[in-house]
Amino acid sequence: MKVLVVDDSKPIFMMVSQMLEELGHQAVWAENGQDAIEKINENADFELVLLDWNMPVMDGLEFLVKNGTESFCPAPIVMMTTENKPEKIQEALKNGAVDYIMKPFTADILENKIEMVCD
Amino acid sequence: MARPEIYKFFSEYVYKHTGILYKENDYYRLDSRFNTLVKDLEVKDVDELYNLYIQKITPAMHTALIDLCTNNETYFMRDLKPFKALAKEGVEYLKETFGQVLKYNFWSAASSTGQEPYSILMALESFGTNFDLNKIDMNASDISTEALKKAKSGTYTGLEVQRGLPANLLIKYFDQVENDWKLKSEIMSRVRFSEFNLLTGVFKSNHYHVIFCRNVLIYQDVENKKKILKEICNSLKPGGLLFMGAGESLIGVDIPMKQMELGKAYCYVKQSS
Repeated sequence: MKVLVVDDSKPIFMMVSQMLEELGHQAVWAENGQDAIEKINENADFELVLLDWNMPVMDGLEFLVKNGTESFCPAPIVMMTTENKPEKIQEALKNGAVDYIMKPFTADILENKIEMVCD
Repeated sequence: MARPEIYKFFSEYVYKHTGILYKENDYYRLDSRFNTLVKDLEVKDVDELYNLYIQKITPAMHTALIDLCTNNETYFMRDLKPFKALAKEGVEYLKETFGQVLKYNFWSAASSTGQEPYSILMALESFGTNFDLNKIDMNASDISTEALKKAKSGTYTGLEVQRGLPANLLIKYFDQVENDWKLKSEIMSRVRFSEFNLLTGVFKSNHYHVIFCRNVLIYQDVENKKKILKEICNSLKPGGLLFMGAGESLIGVDIPMKQMELGKAYCYVKQSS
């Protein structure tokens, strides 16, 4: 499965990418929400988007809100962020995220979330 | 590495009281447990620990050993399918089979740190047709007092709640308490936890509509597995359902239960005698 990982931190992308590869998936990096839109427009076959919240240019919530009106992302979106307050989780789900991963997390949590979302 | 008689003594004691078998090639798994006991009981080394245990095993020493030697690995909605199936097809089956009952009696027979019974209730309310939880009498038991203590606290770390639990259920059923997550009392108060040893405990007869006994019998030898399953079967009402772990089955066990496909999951149904 091709997964778009949207995170402004290259080390985090590398870590997530390695976890995904070990689970048999392929990771593509986008540095922020705007970059993610461009990557999706170039290549529509992503089956999952893992989306950070706090990023420059366009943050995760702005990406969700924009997708809510423009529907450019057909893949399910899972937030993956250090924001761990219930109201933040609620806000992300309300704006179209299908699930939420709080950092830090482990490979088995990522695997489990992917199974649930893609079931 | 401890002396062979030390491994033998502790493995036999654990087997006698839990049925959990540490074979000779598993002895190394006892080493870290010995180290914890040495620290907790403030003795010098494993030899001194052994000397202490062969003299007299107090209830506190028994509990410390059993807590350490049981496997408390679990997570919310483990394997997911049984929970979804129970909440949808299972509820329909129970209504059809048992008609109007005051309460359905559920038992999570090896509940460890509580994720299983809490998952059952969350699934029944959220995955199905908003099942009325007042109709469930949810019992849960485990052999480990430490596991039960955590289960009763209903408090889990961020990593623990993320294993298996979708975010919508996390915010629906939990409150954030500092860095941890605590179950809301509307779910917590519905589960009655008790200490129970599946090998030596006295089972209720013809009582339960649904029993979950998952990922516990894999640690038992054939004879103990048969003994426990016979008791579980006796504990179910005719038509009652047994959910086992993904790798577990009743093959080789002669009890009146039949496998049944329930949604995308499998369970066992107790046959009428």
